[in-house]
Amino acid sequence: MTLTLRSAYRVPVILAVLVLAPMAGLLSLGQLPGFEPQDLQFWQSAYIRRVIFFSLWQALLSALFSVIPAILVARAFALNGNFRFRSLLLRLFGLPLVVPSVVAVLGIVSVYGSNGWLPLGRSLYGINGILLAHVFFNLPLAVRLLLPIWQAIPRHYWQLGEQMGFSKWHRWRYLEWPALKEGLPGVLLLVFMLCLTSFAVVLTLGGGPKSTTLEVAIYQSLRFDFDPAQAVMLALLQLSLCVLVAVVMLRFQRLPEVEISTSSPASKSESYRSLLNWVVILFAGIYVGLPLASLLIDGLSGPLGGVVSNIYLWQSAGNTLMLGLGAATLSVIAGWFLLRGSSELANLGQFRRAQLVELCGSVIYVVPPLVIGTGIFVLLSPYVDVFEWVYPVVVLVNAMMGLPFVIRTLSPAMRQNQMRYQFLCQSLALSGWNRFRIVDWPLLRRPVGLSAALVAALAMGDLGVIALFGTPDTATLPLLIYQQMGAYLIPQATVTALVLLGLCLLVFWGLERSIGGKTDA
Amino acid sequence: MKIINRIIGVVFLWLLFTSIAQAANPTLVIYTYDSFSSDWGPGPQVKKAFEEQCGCTVEMTGLEDGVSILNRLKLEGKNTRADIVLGIDTNLTAEARATGLFETHNLSLENSALPGPWDDSMFLPYDYGYFAFVYNRELLKNPPASLKQLVEDPQGPTILIQDPRTSTPGLGLLLWIKKIYGEQASEAWANLSDRIVTVSKGWSEAYGLFLKGEADMVLSYTTSPAYHIIAEQDRRFAAARFSEGHYQQIEVAGIVKSSQQKALGREFLAFMLGDRFQSIIPTTNWMYPATLTASELPPEFSTLIDPSPALLFDDKTVARERKLWVNEWLETLVK
Repeated sequence: MTLTLRSAYRVPVILAVLVLAPMAGLLSLGQLPGFEPQDLQFWQSAYIRRVIFFSLWQALLSALFSVIPAILVARAFALNGNFRFRSLLLRLFGLPLVVPSVVAVLGIVSVYGSNGWLPLGRSLYGINGILLAHVFFNLPLAVRLLLPIWQAIPRHYWQLGEQMGFSKWHRWRYLEWPALKEGLPGVLLLVFMLCLTSFAVVLTLGGGPKSTTLEVAIYQSLRFDFDPAQAVMLALLQLSLCVLVAVVMLRFQRLPEVEISTSSPASKSESYRSLLNWVVILFAGIYVGLPLASLLIDGLSGPLGGVVSNIYLWQSAGNTLMLGLGAATLSVIAGWFLLRGSSELANLGQFRRAQLVELCGSVIYVVPPLVIGTGIFVLLSPYVDVFEWVYPVVVLVNAMMGLPFVIRTLSPAMRQNQMRYQFLCQSLALSGWNRFRIVDWPLLRRPVGLSAALVAALAMGDLGVIALFGTPDTATLPLLIYQQMGAYLIPQATVTALVLLGLCLLVFWGLERSIGGKTDA
Repeated sequence: MKIINRIIGVVFLWLLFTSIAQAANPTLVIYTYDSFSSDWGPGPQVKKAFEEQCGCTVEMTGLEDGVSILNRLKLEGKNTRADIVLGIDTNLTAEARATGLFETHNLSLENSALPGPWDDSMFLPYDYGYFAFVYNRELLKNPPASLKQLVEDPQGPTILIQDPRTSTPGLGLLLWIKKIYGEQASEAWANLSDRIVTVSKGWSEAYGLFLKGEADMVLSYTTSPAYHIIAEQDRRFAAARFSEGHYQQIEVAGIVKSSQQKALGREFLAFMLGDRFQSIIPTTNWMYPATLTASELPPEFSTLIDPSPALLFDDKTVARERKLWVNEWLETLVK
């Protein structure tokens, strides 16, 4: 038993080392030439207080504005059952995650800018713009994360409800809300983190330095000011703020009271369709679709042939694909073992520790990739030629960033599985590979497919780490997009963005299909 | 077994050949920014031209921008692979010098086209440009004729600028306003702030928003219209000429002290100042080459505004005051 317990902490310990070692590396830079000691006044300045306040405030607002409507949308998708274009629509909802921020900003402006389809004029710049962009990024993600909750409600619950003559309100109160209550805090936390670390979008659509997030301050201290110590302190500050928020949110998260049941959890039923739900789906589709449509239009009217015939584009596409798949694989494996550990702890009644293990994986997203990447660079560069290590490092960092997505999608299913089948497995003496093959895989492949797809999309859209290392042979599509943008080649960049979106859609479809099996999301 | 022996033999021979090839063919590693090294930048042509001359291999590493290049060098210190650093500007040279990682070049800048004298013993300029506000002639009929007019006319045009904490042009505008307004820079920013549509992270976001029609003017370079004329045959864009003059950006290169290829590095710097390199610059980097006269530039460049007088703080002043001035800017704009 102690052996399994120790293994429960293995992944969190690895994660801690991967976060703290690079930070220590950065802190050791004190003796380097050109190093300026940190400015102590900085920490007492009104600036840093304002930045902390603004970061938290915009992230909280963005999370609420994304997740609350997402509940309605996910519910509409769940209750309206199978309809034409449903799976296509849901896969489109995976796309915003991959859109590089500069492209997203242009997409948002095409829709809501002063010459846009729904012009907001100058009032776009400020909290409005930030919210519009963050909801565009995160509402679809939250829908994808919340939808499985409805699908996990056992069919006989619905039947029971019908027999008892439940009204809509009763169904919501006694069937849907209890299921939702468990998953909601985690989804809120994830979206909160994504918005907390948002940078270029917040700065550009926020209208200026009033909208400065901690991430901007970290970037500034590691680049223009080149003060690694300050960057590490800011990163730790961001991490602890996030842990604080996470602890508060998880207080509301109850561990599930899973009934040991063999009932199939499918709940797609025609009888719950309603007009209102169609309207909700339509609105969500339009909201997410408009910026993407503007991109499509801009891209298709751009110099398609010239861009697509460039060999460099396809090399970058290949690199992007490898990066996405590599990060997804690593992230899913790490997430699997982490959740395994956590659910074993929960089985032993150690709920706090189980939550703690999960928390380690959940908050890792807010550790700035720039800090980790630079730190790893500092650690590696005395011993190896860093350029040959670009790919492993980028895959590793992206896999770490993707871990919270894996946890969010996989955790509920995994815990339920554990609770339902642990006794059966024990009595049949099923363990290790056999247990994985016979029990876990068939039941968990769908959430595994979704989490792999999400991590792949996230990694494929990443710019932070690869830009840091910079070498001509290893460009990825987002990097190429930024380079084209920076060289007046904005129409070309839009076409490249379209290629990236297409590739992402393909990967999303491929991963969900091949791992998740034929049944659609 | 025989197959394995054969494979080992082939690998050994291959290693031998490549090492001989390398010994005969030294490699010059250049750290630069990625819009220089990219496909459409000057990089590929420069590499080809210099390789023909030197009998060496040029390897370019493209980083995000000048700041990243300098930071990378600081991180690597004496272990750096770089022989040449190309792409930092004069706002960074004082800081770069202070690292002690650079070597004196022992070359002189003849035929300088720079408006001012050049007496830096470590860095040599390869191109330069001027910051300016770019606008669409069809949409903005009466652009401001001076920086003061832009700042002080409350009915003036709306602008898009970049953040001096994250972007080189953003820092350029900060210095420009400081140069003109001195102690009154804060008031100038306060006057301007209502007409700043947004402050973006980098040049690309602001320029992209400008092309989408989000503001009347965007902070860019006097040479930006040349891109639209030459590459897109689009004559709608122009830079507004300000009577006080335009803030200058000079991009430089230097030899890294730890380099094993210093002679080759010097050869490269000399090549950099020659006509072959210089004539590549205007239509790939969209800047003014450092040693070509106006008559040697593409004809479209003659349609650009005359940015004189050139405004520039010396690099020591920038290194000393930058943090203070950026904080002053922040305090004004967050009010």
